[in-house]
Amino acid sequence: MLTRYENVKMTAKPIRNTQKSNSVYVNETELMDIYKKLTFTAAQDEDIKRENANIDGDTAMGTMLKYGSEGSKFFIDHYVLPENIAQAHQNGDIHIHDKDFYMLTETCCQIDLIKLFKNGFSTGHGYLREPNSIESYSALACIAIQANQNEMHGGQSVPNFDYAMADGIKKTFRQEFWKFFRIYMQIKTYLEEIEIDAIQEKFEQKIVIIRLHLFQVYKEQFEEFLYLNVTQDILRDAFCFASQKAVKATERRTYQAMEAFVHNLNTMNSRAGAQVPFSSINYGTDTSEEGRMVIRNLLLATKAGLGNGETPIFPVQIFKVKEGINFNSKDKNYDLFKLAMETSASRFFPNFSFIDAPFNKKFYKKGDFQTEVAYMGCRTRVLENVYDPKRQTICGRGNLSFTTINLPRLALKAHGDIELFFKLLDKMIYLSFHQLLHRFHIQCRKKVRNYPFLMGQGIWIDSEKLAIDDEIAKILKHGTLTIGFIGLAETLKALIGVHHGESKAAQELGLKIISYMRQKTDEAAKRTKLNFSLIATPAEGLSGRFVLMDRKQYGVIAEVTDRDYYTNSFHIPVYYPIKAYKKIQLEAPYHSLTNGGHITYIELDGDVCKNMDAFETIIRYMKESGIGYGAINHPLDRDPVCGYVGVIDNECPRCGRKEGESVSIKKLNELREIYSNVPIYN
Amino acid sequence: MYQFIIKEDTVLNNKEKNEQNQSAYIDQKKVGANVGFARIRRITGYLVGTLDRFNNAKRAEEKDRVKHGCS
Ligand SMILES: [Zn+2]
Repeated sequence: MLTRYENVKMTAKPIRNTQKSNSVYVNETELMDIYKKLTFTAAQDEDIKRENANIDGDTAMGTMLKYGSEGSKFFIDHYVLPENIAQAHQNGDIHIHDKDFYMLTETCCQIDLIKLFKNGFSTGHGYLREPNSIESYSALACIAIQANQNEMHGGQSVPNFDYAMADGIKKTFRQEFWKFFRIYMQIKTYLEEIEIDAIQEKFEQKIVIIRLHLFQVYKEQFEEFLYLNVTQDILRDAFCFASQKAVKATERRTYQAMEAFVHNLNTMNSRAGAQVPFSSINYGTDTSEEGRMVIRNLLLATKAGLGNGETPIFPVQIFKVKEGINFNSKDKNYDLFKLAMETSASRFFPNFSFIDAPFNKKFYKKGDFQTEVAYMGCRTRVLENVYDPKRQTICGRGNLSFTTINLPRLALKAHGDIELFFKLLDKMIYLSFHQLLHRFHIQCRKKVRNYPFLMGQGIWIDSEKLAIDDEIAKILKHGTLTIGFIGLAETLKALIGVHHGESKAAQELGLKIISYMRQKTDEAAKRTKLNFSLIATPAEGLSGRFVLMDRKQYGVIAEVTDRDYYTNSFHIPVYYPIKAYKKIQLEAPYHSLTNGGHITYIELDGDVCKNMDAFETIIRYMKESGIGYGAINHPLDRDPVCGYVGVIDNECPRCGRKEGESVSIKKLNELREIYSNVPIYN
Repeated sequence: MYQFIIKEDTVLNNKEKNEQNQSAYIDQKKVGANVGFARIRRITGYLVGTLDRFNNAKRAEEKDRVKHGCS
């Protein structure tokens, strides 16, 4: 399988020549029709312009991106893909994600900021030296995310945000400490500047961590300075004063830096200005004072919201839950776990990942963030490594590409014949492997030069060992090649008439299907020494595409093709009433099968969400049930006119206006007497 | 990503204006016309600031969602 696609050649002529001689012309007209739609209709009327909800299809750059994307897809379909694969995508058997980027790049990467910041880095538009304060750590983190985003087609993730920012806090603390120490000595003693310099010089490199009682640690070394005629008491007081003031100042500066970080990631542009970078950050396990300070202030800034109290959309935040670190009341970071839940209840983020889930825990080594599972953006997980089993680590690795199989289609084709279903599934899995490898070999031919930041600055694992004109084939093997699926619920409905929320037999069959897919990806991984994995596809653009085609072919079938979407991956259908604990129980086993990524959602109503005991019970139950990654959803509406945040049905419960109606300033002034967050109008 | 323009829709005629003192005038000024509610929802892991940008399938899915009981 490997050798067959070692050399992918592109032809100057369309690969597909089985159609009539005017087929290219016909297809090109199709492309021009798409361009017309993109040009002359508004996003609200045209689904194609809303494929991705975080890209504004109405802007010039948004439309330019779509021209490029649609033109590229046309090229890939007609000149690059083997005919059977192009057809399988076109007719909806499979979906090749980010097909427009087929010839260009990879999906995503977990960025190690610690490695990147060391000795500074270059963005391609200028050199940035090693940052020296928490403010510059935060600013450079944004820049790194943005620069990498421009070279990949998926999102960007920082897997060790607390550990990475902690270094910046240490530096900030040192600055503040010596500032206050000098002030104290200048006021309280008659020492010359040069004599204070001598003390600072002696201890400067030693004050590296936050401690309130630094003096106790360095007491003996102070004796050297007794010739200066300063008493031990003065020195002790100076140390006390400086450390107390420095801790406070560092805390304040960290809050501002985290606030700026969140603000920047919601406003900075990437990809020609059409979207902000898709970013995610993982944290929660660094128990150092500095790490705790990062987590605490990031959560507080998130909870406070953006300028007018808006909920930040980015970054996706993931709190890593771990027994012995933050899960139980005696754990050092338990207070931060609590704060994380409070923040999540009002702002959606953070989500929660569970290092103790058996399939994550087996990699975990205490104190080594490289072994702590991290999740990217929508759910991608990269940890196992068959190519290099000594490096089952997170940093510098990511997904290369992924392709989703239309499971309900196979069930509809099989007409209730389960044996036939598995045969069809088998065929589709192999077709997908074939396609992933085809794409992989194109990716392998690229050089370091093609990715000046990702590869040129050593973000991707081992890229620092390559020269600028080296091919990246070898190091790409650390990434994952991933198969996904959609609509397990509809599949089960079509096969046996019930989905896995409704019957035990359906759950058993569901697990059998997904286990089979996992078994096949494991076999492929073993055979090729490439990281084939299985993902519970996120599928934003995909949820409507398959079902439309299947309805056309098989008609409207109740709870299979009668809605406008297929249910996400292995989820229990969103319309099906089920208790939270039951949903968690049923979905958890699929987490251990989908090593390429997964997520489970629980929907709560607004009031339950404000009950922190109920919230914590659910998160704890996820952990105990073996969920890898989970989150709680709740309605979060906001009236920008009066500042109300909560559930708004038809009219705003605070000011009484309906959508689009106006309110008098007088009324708002009255409301301001009761509520603190009513915007001011002049 | 989701900013709202607050439009004033003052519809007081000159005669009325003249009859009122300045503060009463400001009190009756109205704000918020054509301003929508911000509805933040999560789709596939990312948050979205307004339902307007959802594609058709995702709008249908969002509408169908039911809450999960906790007991
Ligand atoms: Zn209101």
